Amino acid sequence: MIVVSGIRKSLRTGSTTVEILKGIDFTIARGEFAAIMGASGSGKSTLLGLLAGLDNPTSGTVTLNGTAISNLAEDKLAQLRGRTIGFVFQSYQLIPTLTALENVMLPYELNGSPNVAGEANGMARARQLLSAVGLDSRVDHYPVQLSGGEQQRVALARAFILRPPIVLADEPTGNLDTANGSHVLDLLLHLNRVEGTTLVLVTHDPVLATYAGRRITLRDGLVISDETQVPAQHTPAGA
Amino acid sequence: MPSLSYPTAARIASRELHSSRGKFTFVILSVAIGVAALTGVRGFSSAFRATLLLRARSIMAADLSARTNVPLTPYQQSALSDLTSSGASETTVTESLSMASSATSLDPLLVSLKAIDPAKYPFYGDVVLDPAMPLTQALSDHTVAVGEDLLLRLHLKVGDSIKLGTQIFRIAAAVVDEPDRLSGSFAAGPRVLLTQTALDSTGLVSPAARVSRRYLFKLPPAKPGQALSDDAVAALKAKVDSLLPEAQVSDYREANPALTRALDGATGLLSLMSLVALVLGAVGVAMAMRAHLQQRLDSIAIMKSLGAGSSQIMKIYLLQTVLLGLAGGVLGVLLGLGVQLAFPLFLAKLLHLTPSFQINSHAIAMGLTAGLLTTLLFTVPTLLSVRNIRPILILRRAVDSGDGTFFERLSRNLSSYLLQLLAGVVIVGALVALAARVSDSSTVGLVFGGGLIAALVLLYLVARLLMYALRLFLSATRLHLPSSLRHGLANLYRPGNPSAALLAALGLGVMQIAAVYIVQRSIVSEMHVAVSENLPNIFLVDMTTDEVGGVRTLLAQQPTVRGTPELLPVVAARLVAINRIPAAQLEKKRGFGRSLQGLSLTWSPTADAPPPGDKVSSGQWWTAKQAMDSKLHPLVAIDKNRAARLNVRPGDTLTFSAQDEAFTATVSALFEADSRHAYSRADFVFPQPVLAGLPAVWYGGVHCDPASTAQLRRALYERFPTVTVIDVAATLETVRQVLLQITYVIQFLAAFSIFAGIVILASAIAGTRYRRIREVVVLKTLGATRARIATIFSVEFAVLGLIAGITGLIFANIMGRLLLLRQFHFDYHFQPWLNISAALCVAALTVAAGWLASHRVLGQKPLEVLREE
Repeated sequence: MIVVSGIRKSLRTGSTTVEILKGIDFTIARGEFAAIMGASGSGKSTLLGLLAGLDNPTSGTVTLNGTAISNLAEDKLAQLRGRTIGFVFQSYQLIPTLTALENVMLPYELNGSPNVAGEANGMARARQLLSAVGLDSRVDHYPVQLSGGEQQRVALARAFILRPPIVLADEPTGNLDTANGSHVLDLLLHLNRVEGTTLVLVTHDPVLATYAGRRITLRDGLVISDETQVPAQHTPAGA
Repeated sequence: MPSLSYPTAARIASRELHSSRGKFTFVILSVAIGVAALTGVRGFSSAFRATLLLRARSIMAADLSARTNVPLTPYQQSALSDLTSSGASETTVTESLSMASSATSLDPLLVSLKAIDPAKYPFYGDVVLDPAMPLTQALSDHTVAVGEDLLLRLHLKVGDSIKLGTQIFRIAAAVVDEPDRLSGSFAAGPRVLLTQTALDSTGLVSPAARVSRRYLFKLPPAKPGQALSDDAVAALKAKVDSLLPEAQVSDYREANPALTRALDGATGLLSLMSLVALVLGAVGVAMAMRAHLQQRLDSIAIMKSLGAGSSQIMKIYLLQTVLLGLAGGVLGVLLGLGVQLAFPLFLAKLLHLTPSFQINSHAIAMGLTAGLLTTLLFTVPTLLSVRNIRPILILRRAVDSGDGTFFERLSRNLSSYLLQLLAGVVIVGALVALAARVSDSSTVGLVFGGGLIAALVLLYLVARLLMYALRLFLSATRLHLPSSLRHGLANLYRPGNPSAALLAALGLGVMQIAAVYIVQRSIVSEMHVAVSENLPNIFLVDMTTDEVGGVRTLLAQQPTVRGTPELLPVVAARLVAINRIPAAQLEKKRGFGRSLQGLSLTWSPTADAPPPGDKVSSGQWWTAKQAMDSKLHPLVAIDKNRAARLNVRPGDTLTFSAQDEAFTATVSALFEADSRHAYSRADFVFPQPVLAGLPAVWYGGVHCDPASTAQLRRALYERFPTVTVIDVAATLETVRQVLLQITYVIQFLAAFSIFAGIVILASAIAGTRYRRIREVVVLKTLGATRARIATIFSVEFAVLGLIAGITGLIFANIMGRLLLLRQFHFDYHFQPWLNISAALCVAALTVAAGWLASHRVLGQKPLEVLREE
C-alpha cells in the first residue's frame, strides 16, 4: 500500500524557488493499478520520484507498505527501493556496459532477495523473465545492440526480477512506436497480473490511462481529480 | 544489506574501463608517466649519486679524515680501536718533512714524507705509479715510491736508492697521481711515499718531531649493495670530533665543497622532480576520474534507483581506480626501468661514466605503491561525490541544489564538506608522508606538502576570483565583443564546466614544472661557473720574495698557462693573545694546544677587496683608506672555520707574533675560502701595510692546460729548483668532469620531468573533451561551422592557459626562490623574458592540447549523439 500525505516539493534553481507539488494526498491499495496523468510540467515525474524515494519531499510523507520513507537515510532508502520497487522508465535506463542478462540480474546482485534465493536461481529467474518478454535469443546483447522496444522489454524484466510488491512506470511507452508500445504495455499488464504487484503508471496519454483501475490527474502541482474506473481490456498489437 | 560481490563490482568496473579505452589510456599514461619519472629519476639518480659520491670520496681517499699534529693519548688510541671494531675501517697517514740524499747528488733535498699502510690506503681512488703496479708491491720495509720531481732533482731513476734518516731505500716506482693530493698537506718538497714501518726505521719520527697525522675512516654500507647514508658519516664525524678535540675533522663532503654543493643541489633537485612527477601524475588522474564520473552520472543514478547504496557504487569505482593505478604503476615501473637502462648507455660514450644499473626491488615497490596511493588519494574527493549523486537525476536532469531552509542547506553542505575536509586531511597527511619517503627528508616532505596545499588553495581562490572578474567584464562588454570571443569566454564560467578545477590543476602543473626549470637553471648556471677552466691546477710552494718576480715572468711566457696566476705571500706567525688574554691562559682554558702556532698570514692583492676565492660571510672588508691606515690600526679577516675554532667574531682583537714582532689587529670580517684557490692556504688576511717588512714565503696557484703540466713543471724546475710544484691537474679534471656530468644529468632529468608534466597536463585538458561533445552537437545543429566552433574553443583554452600560466609562474618563482635560497643555498634571479615567454607557451600548449583532444569531437555527426539521448 502506498500512502501519500501532504506532499510538497520545491526546487531551487539558482536564486529562484519553484513549487512543483503543492500538497498532495492519496492512498493506493495493494494490487491496485493507478495511472497518474497530467500535462507536461504538472509534477507527475516529481511525484513518481518521491513515491520511489528517489528524492525527498520538502514536506509531507510517503509510506510504502507501512514504512515512512521520506526521511530515511540514503542507504536504507536504497535498500528499501531495491527490494520493494520495480522501475520502468521512459528512456529505458539500462547500463550500457552490461549485457541484457546482466542488466536484469543487477538488482538481484545489488540487493539479493528473500524471494529469489541463490545465484543460480537469480540467473534462472532472469532468463525466465527475458524469455517471457521474448528476448531468449538476445540475452548476451548489449543495450546498444538492441532496438528501443527490446531495451524497454529488458527494463521490464529488470523491474520484476525481485518480485517487488510495487512497480512504478514513467511513460514506459513514450519513446516507442505504436506496435512496440503496445507490446510493452501488454507485457507490463501481463507481468503485473501474474506477479500480483501494485502498479503506478505515469503518463500523459489518455488511452494508456484507460487500462488502469484508477486515474489521478495533476495540474500545477495539485490533484484535480481522483477517480476509479473500469479498466479497458488491452488488445495486444497484431491480435 | 547484501553487498555487491567483488566479482560483480569488478565486472562492471572492467566493462566500463573497456568501453572507454581511449579515455583510460590517458589515465593509465598519466599514472605511468608519473611513476616512470619517479622510479626512473629516483633509481637513476641514486645510482648516479653513488657513483659520483665515490669520486667525491676519492678526493679524500676516505669517508672521513681527522688531521692532528698532536700524538694520540693511550685513551684516544684505544677508543679509536673500539671504533674500528664496531665496523668502521681506519688507516693512518703520517706526513712529515725530512731531508733526502743520494749517492749521485751531494746536496740533500727537502722532501715531504707520507707514510701509509699500503694494504688499506687509499680507501677510495687509486695511487697511480710508474711503472704501473699495486702499492702493496711497490712499498715494503726497504722500498719507497717517489715523486717525479725528486727523480729530476736528484738525477735518479726508478731502481736507484735514496737515503732517508739512517736508512737506505730502493725507489720502486714514481708517484704519478695520489687521490688525496688536494686534501693532504701542501708541504714543500717532492713526495716520498713509504710504509709506516719504513718511516719508523728511519729514526726521523721522534716525539718532538713536527709530524702531522691523518686518520682516515671508511664506513661499511648499512646493507650490501646499498649506498652509504650521509647520516652514518655525520654520526661517525660527531664521535671522532668528540674523541679528538684537537683534530681537524672533515668528511668527504668538505673535501671539495664545490663538488658536494653541486651534488647536494642536484640531489635536492632530483627529489623535487620526483615529487613533482608524482603529484602531476595524480593531478592528471584526478582530472580524468572527475571527467569519467561526470559521464557516468546516469549509470550511477540508475544503479541507485535499482537499490544500490553509495558504498556499493564506490566499491565499483574504487576497484576501477585500483585497476587503473595498478596498470599505470606497472607500465610506469617498466618505463622507469627503461629510462634507467637507456640513459647510462647514452651517456657512457659521452661522459665515460656508467652508473651500475641494477633492478632495485625497493624502487619498484616504491613506484608501484606511490602510483597506486596517489591515484587513490587524488580520486577520493571525486569518489566521495558519488554520495551526492541523486537517483532523481534519471527523471529530472536539472537537479536542484537542494531544498529546505538556508540553515538546513547549510548543515547539509557542512556535513558533506566535513567528509571532504576529512578526506582532504587524510590526503595531505599521506602526501606529506609519501613526499618525505620519496625525498628521504621529513622536512622536504612537510615543506613540499604544505606548500603544495597552500598553492592549490590559493590557485583555486585566484581561479574563482578571475572567473568572477571575467563574468563582470563580460556583462559590461558583452554586446561589444565578437560572438566567438564572447561565447569562448562565457564557456569558462558556465555551470558544469570545471574551469576552476582545471585552472587550479593547470596552474599547479605550471608552477611545479616552472619551479623545476628555475631551480635547475640556477644550479646548472652556477655549476658552469664552478667548472670554469681558469681555476688553479698547479700549486707552487716555497718561493722566496726574490723569486716571485721571475716566476711571474716565466708563467706569463708559458702559452699553456691560462688566466692570472695567484701568487700569495705567507708570513709565519703565532697567536699570542685573543682579546688581550695571553695564549698560555687560553691554551689551558680551551685546550688549543698547538693550534695557535704555525699560522699562515697573508695580504690581499687588492687594497679594498678579499683575495680571489674568498667571500665575506660576516663583518665588513676594509676600505682602501682603512688599508692605508692599517699600520697604525691593524685589521684582519679570518677564515670562518678557523674563527669558529678560535671562538672569535668581528670586533675581537688578536695579537700575533712574527719574527719577534708583536702586533694587535681587530677582526673586521670573517670569510669563506674556496679550497680551489691558492689563497685558501692562508686563514688570516691583512691589509698589505700590516705585514710589510716581515719575511714572507710565497705560494702560488696557476691554471695550466691539463695535458701540458709536465712541461710547465720541467720549466719551473730548471729555473727555480728550490720551488716545489704540486700538480693537481688530474684530480681537478676529475672534479670538473663530475660537475659537468651532474649538469648533463640534471638537465636531462629536468627535461624528462618537464616533458612528462606537459603530457600529463595535456591529457587532463583532453579529459574535458567528453563534456564538449553535446555542446558541439548543439552548435552544429544550429548551423555553426567547424571553424567557428574551433575559434570558440581556442578562445576558451587560450584564456585558460594564459591565466593558469601567469598564476602558476608567479607561484613557481616564489617556490623557486624559497627553494634556491633557503634549501639549496644557490642564487635566485628573476628572468622577466623567460617568464613572459613561458606564460605565452603555456597558453599556446593549452590551445594545442585542447585542439588535439577536440579534433575528433569536432568531426562527430550530430545525429550520432542525439540518438543516444
